[in-house]
Amino acid sequence: MQTRFISKASLRGLVTAMAVASIGGAAFAQATAPAAPPPVSDLVRKQAERSKQDVNLRGHPVPPIATPRDKLPMDKIKVPEGFKVEVFATGLAGARMMLLSPKGTLFVSTRTLGRVYAVTDPFGKKEVKTIAQGLTLPNGLAMKDGALFVTANKQVLRFDDIDATLDAPKSVDLSEKFNLPGDLSHGWRYTEFGPDGKLYIPVGANCNACEVNYGTHAHIRRYDADGSNMEIVARGVRNTVGFDWHPVTKDLWFTDNGRDWAGNEGPEDELNMLPKNKTGASFGFPYCHANKVADPDVVRPDPCAGVILPKALMGPHAAALSIKWYTGDMFPAKYKNVAFIARHGSWNREKKIGYDVVMATEKNGKVKVEPFLTGLLDEKTNSFHGRPVHILQLKDGSLLVTDENNGAIYRITYDAKAKTARL
Amino acid sequence: MSRKLLSTLAPPALALAALLCAPASAATLAEQVETCGACHGEDGNSRMPRLPSLAGQPNFYLMNQLILIREGVRKIPEMEALAKDLKDDDILALAAHYAAAPSKRSEETPDPALAARGAQVAASHHCASCHTPALTGQEQMPRLAGQRIDYMVEALKAMRDNRRTSADPLMVETVVGLSDQDLAALAHYAASK
Ligand code: HEC
Ligand code: HEC
Repeated sequence: MQTRFISKASLRGLVTAMAVASIGGAAFAQATAPAAPPPVSDLVRKQAERSKQDVNLRGHPVPPIATPRDKLPMDKIKVPEGFKVEVFATGLAGARMMLLSPKGTLFVSTRTLGRVYAVTDPFGKKEVKTIAQGLTLPNGLAMKDGALFVTANKQVLRFDDIDATLDAPKSVDLSEKFNLPGDLSHGWRYTEFGPDGKLYIPVGANCNACEVNYGTHAHIRRYDADGSNMEIVARGVRNTVGFDWHPVTKDLWFTDNGRDWAGNEGPEDELNMLPKNKTGASFGFPYCHANKVADPDVVRPDPCAGVILPKALMGPHAAALSIKWYTGDMFPAKYKNVAFIARHGSWNREKKIGYDVVMATEKNGKVKVEPFLTGLLDEKTNSFHGRPVHILQLKDGSLLVTDENNGAIYRITYDAKAKTARL
Repeated sequence: MSRKLLSTLAPPALALAALLCAPASAATLAEQVETCGACHGEDGNSRMPRLPSLAGQPNFYLMNQLILIREGVRKIPEMEALAKDLKDDDILALAAHYAAAPSKRSEETPDPALAARGAQVAASHHCASCHTPALTGQEQMPRLAGQRIDYMVEALKAMRDNRRTSADPLMVETVVGLSDQDLAALAHYAASK
């Protein structure tokens, strides 16, 4: 209504003066210092032609508004007999990583949307609050001593005593200490405190496929919680968006996404294992991909020499993200120490693949990958209904899964009785 | 009335901020569009240097950008005060309004030599694969056809130099390493479509 008090012409004058003034000065002065020069990416689209893939393949948009509960694709989702999938929470547009604090708040991050949510009383009223917004790719959540660590591209923010300060969260900016690169390319990070108490942060390649500096990119690093003592634990990692420590051997297992524009069939995404005594080992990027495929663009002699090859292949362009070893008691015994892996789903593949949760079972050193939660991919129409990102195991042994496309969290439970009743 | 209000409020930036701080949903769509029009053109086609046209942009693009602008993911100081209180419903209505508005070319004249050079770079970098062959945009990908040249030059530089940190990383990867001249050529080409 107030706009009426000012004539159109004077408003325009006012606004013009202001717009021009701030474009000239403040608007760009505020911008942060540019990162180190990114690699020349003329290659990027030239690779597209050589790949013989449909050059019109492109990333899928992330809906910034959550799907209403009654429009969620629950009727599409399939799980094995005896399992059940229900809606756990909605209204979390762009939901990515989850973290359940010991005090019972469920934190949920986003990527492009720049928000971090808190779901209070997640097993009761489930109230959704936005505790941070306007961040750049704040995918990474981790917790130590009641403090929530949010990793957003080159920023690391620590929210002390977060459960008690949800209505006015305050953060300590640790970015300078952590000194992460600010490239947007693979600039979102999965983070977790390891069994060693260190904060693990991957830094992906700042390109699709190019020469990288292993000192700054294409690796997984770890730090003390205050950002000191940085150490590279694995290199040659193109972009991992999920890892977990094996419940028995305590080795670090992580997914890694294969490069784009080298064909519809690969190179495949990887499920890797870093043995405890191999800290700093290489996993091959950019020269050697899953299954010993040499890169067509970034060539060097003997590309796979000294490279730790994957434990399992996760599908071409499938975008294998979160991995969670199952240690709960709710599911049948055969699921104990099985890894559940969320596959976000492909964009750089003509026939879509992924959009599911698979399970990886290790037996005598061999890993078998099988479907678990399916139905979100409609193969007939080559379209999808949801995009799983992260898996969290609850105390009762049920699993939560985020769906970034719908801004929802699903809960997977198992009921042995329900199964026998149906038989 | 208007003169009185204006004279009591100085500096102008403050006046505008106060003016636009009112809960957005209290204003009708027509009133909001009038406010937007002061910068983006009454019909959504901008006639001011470096201010983008909104007319004919894909609905999803406008909706997505307005949410990112509202929350400060995409930082636009000129729009901060008026965007921060927009409700999702306001944003959906504004996006639908401008998506349906016919796009008109700005008063700038594309330089034919630059546009020809831009066409080559655009072909080798497959701009059309995302922005469509007519460069009219789709989903999260904006319309470039008819957009202001001066705005696009700045937008491309900002993305290349990592200053538009809300931008889609796949778009950024496409332009990193391109020279200022190439970016200008691309803008002249895109505007001439
Ligand atoms: C005071 C001037 C001003 C007003 C008023 C204003 N804007 Fe903007 N707007 C800008 C500027 C400046 C930019 C571009 C910033 C940049 O260079 O990235 C912009 C960018 C945008 C964009 C992104 C366009 C693109 O192509 O990416 C959208 C969408 C937008 N404005 C919508 C609106 C709407 C809707 C309103 C009214 C509710 C509005 N603006 C009011 C100054 C304004
Ligand atoms: C992989 C898909 C993709 C390709 C290829 C691509 N773009 Fe984009 N472009 C986008 C997306 C997505 C955005 C929106 C950025 C954002 O989210 O802020 C965008 C934004 C832009 C903008 C900003 C427009 C505005 O209104 O703010 C310009 C200009 C642009 N692109 C030009 C180009 C040119 C020129 C090329 C080829 C050299 C190109 N794009 C190639 C996806 C692409």
